[in-house]
Amino acid sequence: MPLIKLKNLKKTYQQGKIEVPALRGINLEIESGEFTTIFGPSGSGKTTLLNMIGCLDKSTAGEIIFDEHSINDLNNRELAELRRYNLGFIFQSYNLIPVLTAFENVEFAIRLTDKHSKKERKEKVMSLLEEVGLGDMADRRPNELSGGQKQRVAVARALIKEPKLVLADEPTANLDSETSKEVLELMKKMNSELNTTFIFSTHDPQVMDYARRLIEIKDGKITKDQRRD
Amino acid sequence: MFFLKMAIKNLSRHKRRTVITALIIAFAILIYILTEGLMIGMTEMSFNNIINLESGHLQVADQDYWEDRRELPLRDLITPSAEVESELKKTAGFIALTERLNFSVNLNNGIDELPVTGIGIDLEKDSRVFELDQYLVEGRMPESGSSEVIMGAKLAELMDFRLGDYAVMLIRTEEKTFNTIDGEIVGLFNTPHPSLNESDVFISLKTAQQSLNVKDKISHYVLRLEDREQAVKAAADLSQRLEGGLKAYSWKDAAESLVTMLEMQAIETQVILAIILTMAAVGIVNTVILSALERMEELGMMKALGMHQREIVYTFMGEAAGIGIIGGLMGITMGSIGLWIFNFYGLDMSALTAGGDITYGFPLSGTIYLGWEISSFIFVFAYGVSVSVLASIFPALWAARKDPVKAIYHR
Repeated sequence: MPLIKLKNLKKTYQQGKIEVPALRGINLEIESGEFTTIFGPSGSGKTTLLNMIGCLDKSTAGEIIFDEHSINDLNNRELAELRRYNLGFIFQSYNLIPVLTAFENVEFAIRLTDKHSKKERKEKVMSLLEEVGLGDMADRRPNELSGGQKQRVAVARALIKEPKLVLADEPTANLDSETSKEVLELMKKMNSELNTTFIFSTHDPQVMDYARRLIEIKDGKITKDQRRD
Repeated sequence: MFFLKMAIKNLSRHKRRTVITALIIAFAILIYILTEGLMIGMTEMSFNNIINLESGHLQVADQDYWEDRRELPLRDLITPSAEVESELKKTAGFIALTERLNFSVNLNNGIDELPVTGIGIDLEKDSRVFELDQYLVEGRMPESGSSEVIMGAKLAELMDFRLGDYAVMLIRTEEKTFNTIDGEIVGLFNTPHPSLNESDVFISLKTAQQSLNVKDKISHYVLRLEDREQAVKAAADLSQRLEGGLKAYSWKDAAESLVTMLEMQAIETQVILAIILTMAAVGIVNTVILSALERMEELGMMKALGMHQREIVYTFMGEAAGIGIIGGLMGITMGSIGLWIFNFYGLDMSALTAGGDITYGFPLSGTIYLGWEISSFIFVFAYGVSVSVLASIFPALWAARKDPVKAIYHR
């Protein structure tokens, strides 16, 4: 069974009296452990699709099945629970909490799952920060880190709770090409080591080079779905 | 605990804003502490003045006399007896007793006449119960059995009397016949009890009894106890033991209207606090909204990570509690400093009471020293923090209910 199954997914936004279709019937299956990139021009519906998969937004029509469960009928609280234990997010602008250190930002995500003792939590966070190359910067606040380092913290935050799926919305958009490469290498490594499913939205050809599956979206429809070995 | 830690860290984001909002709460608390301190000081001084200059701790009188005591009647008087005195001396905490005879006087200076209260005092015993002799500013106390009088310097000034002058006191005897006492003014006093200074004339008890033709009768006994807190219970116990229509009344019975007035004042203080803290609550609402707007993307991230609305609300409430605690501590520190200053230097009431002419019904004048109670500090601190937390709930709910997608892509 696929991890994610979208059945004729539609999303329409209301702008005043005008209805603006963002997704026009998406059918898609994503298997566990895939490293997938969704690309397409601005306004094509990439972010909307990512938000639907990430249980952040509700569809106008169609069905989303996550890990064999339909999420269409879940209320906000149930959706939050689903995100809490199963999903990780990486944002373009990192969205780290500026008053917390790198360690605390990562710890924040695992705290929500409430599965570990303080000692276990500390070991897990430090181990992951070392894995992303920030073991010696655990006490630094976001304003003391470079863009690449911030995004590494965001990657660690997304992975710390060992989610089934990590969604990354243009994760390299604010990074230079060298740093982008480092972050992508890191995510690919995590994908291989932890078998975590990654879905990216991007414009960046460099990101597309790393993807094993490329999905092109135009005007709210999938126009290309290509797997690469 | 983690959310609380995060809330505390969030307070450091905009230190100036946090401090300014906390200052509003601190200001409200400062005003409350000073107002409450003034009330406590005024209450303490008023009670002491009543006890030390007007009522003692206990008064024992005929019940019918007590009912009409403000009319200064010469009926239902008491004939002192050794049995009654012996019973009075058995009162718990007893220190001293004296006898007094209050009567109505028209004070005449040859031109004007003024109704005042004449008080016949046992000059030997009175100073063991009252402190009148300590407030003489000129002259001395009258001699027993003489027609010498003392009066307030204020009353003397009003009637244009000087030390050594004779004050004509027009009185009506028990048989309703007129009589006069030509009282030589041998002393002038200035007590912190304004009505005493303005309307009471003191004379030897024996002279008063003779002039009023009441033989050896008195209007009431006055007792001094070790502690004013003993008075209410002592009055109840003593009343049970007394016979012949006599009853004991505590100083609180004598100051009934003052106690009621002070209770009203206490309510006024609470209302003032509520109004100022409501203003502070507006500041808190503003701070939480600003803080939420600035952190909209972060809120989106928190929701994306699966944080529940409740947890986001707790975070903001934690921040508001932090502001309340900072404001509370600042307010208590400022209030304590203010109290210390007013306690050290005192607050001269003459500026507020037009030189003591206006007393607002309080039996006090001169310099007031502000009081304090630890329970007031605890109350106002808890109240400030509670208002702060409660004020944050609605803006926090507003922030927590934001759609996560809109929050993430806020810009």
